[in-house]
Amino acid sequence: MPILENAFEENLLTTKVDWLLNWAKLNSVWPMTFGLACCAIEMMAVGAAHHDLDRFGAGAFRATPRQADLMIVAGTVNFKMAERIKRLYDQMPHPKYVIAMGACATGGGPYFKFGYTVVKGVDRVVPVDVYIAGCPPRPEALLEGLMALQRKIRATAVIRKPAITV
Amino acid sequence: MDFQGIYDRLKEQGAAGMQEANLPRLPDPADKKDKGRGGDPYVLVDPAQICAFMDLAKKDERLHFEILADLSASDPAVDAENFWVIYQLLSVKHRHRLMVKCSIPKSDPRIDTISGINRAAGWHERECSEMFGITFNGHPDPRNILLPDDWVGFPLRKDYEFPKEYQGISCI
Ligand code: SF4
Repeated sequence: MPILENAFEENLLTTKVDWLLNWAKLNSVWPMTFGLACCAIEMMAVGAAHHDLDRFGAGAFRATPRQADLMIVAGTVNFKMAERIKRLYDQMPHPKYVIAMGACATGGGPYFKFGYTVVKGVDRVVPVDVYIAGCPPRPEALLEGLMALQRKIRATAVIRKPAITV
Repeated sequence: MDFQGIYDRLKEQGAAGMQEANLPRLPDPADKKDKGRGGDPYVLVDPAQICAFMDLAKKDERLHFEILADLSASDPAVDAENFWVIYQLLSVKHRHRLMVKCSIPKSDPRIDTISGINRAAGWHERECSEMFGITFNGHPDPRNILLPDDWVGFPLRKDYEFPKEYQGISCI
């Protein structure tokens, strides 16, 4: 790093291991590239310049589950897709998180009553960390959901059980 | 050509299996009891002769229905005794359309495939067969196209019961 080289005197930095790990984790939640229905359009809007998901370190959409930390289930999950989602989730390395974006992924949405092949909530297939309401949720809602996930990550502890939870 | 023209041409050419036609018209002002006839224009064709009919509609010089715009089926009611199979034909050359209907019994829903005449029918027929349980005789690739392969039941039938669970995932 030529810019930072010799910029500081030799120094010592103290921090907590948990804090450092969480700081690294929550600022690089890389989502997986996939969208299932109309909600995915909002997700793309969030990834684009106007809303800029990259501010939160989560804009690097990975094309493979093996490099992804976060699965944003953006859209309607049907049974044929549920099998694939489960397999993709299993291929993601730990720590992994799931956001159920929109009414469909949360609980079937508009297809709750008559959608014979729609899974009534992706949480019947994979564990979900954050639910976002809306049909589709506004881009701000997805950002809020991501920040909720970051708060959740910040409260986790690897070394020691946290005294308080969120 | 308008519908009347198409219908006359079909009759003139001796189209196979043509049973009747729905010709919508306004009520006759002189006759108070006459209510006219509503609905969309269509011709009803004997399902056993659908291939011959489609072949003529495509090859005839004046009709020239080279495009199958849609193929669908419908279940009119729970207690109805038939399914409808509905073909929408389109001629770009002559700028006219035709709706063709076939009535097939629910007890034995089968009809010949027309994918040999119009290849666009292939996928539509696959969809109809998984949604309504209609068998298309001689279809080259009769797999499911939308539903999973192990799906039970035909979702667009009026008496369809929703599954309680699919592969361990609760549906309720
Ligand atoms: S929640 Fe609404 S916008 Fe989102 S995938 Fe379902 S129907 Fe589409």
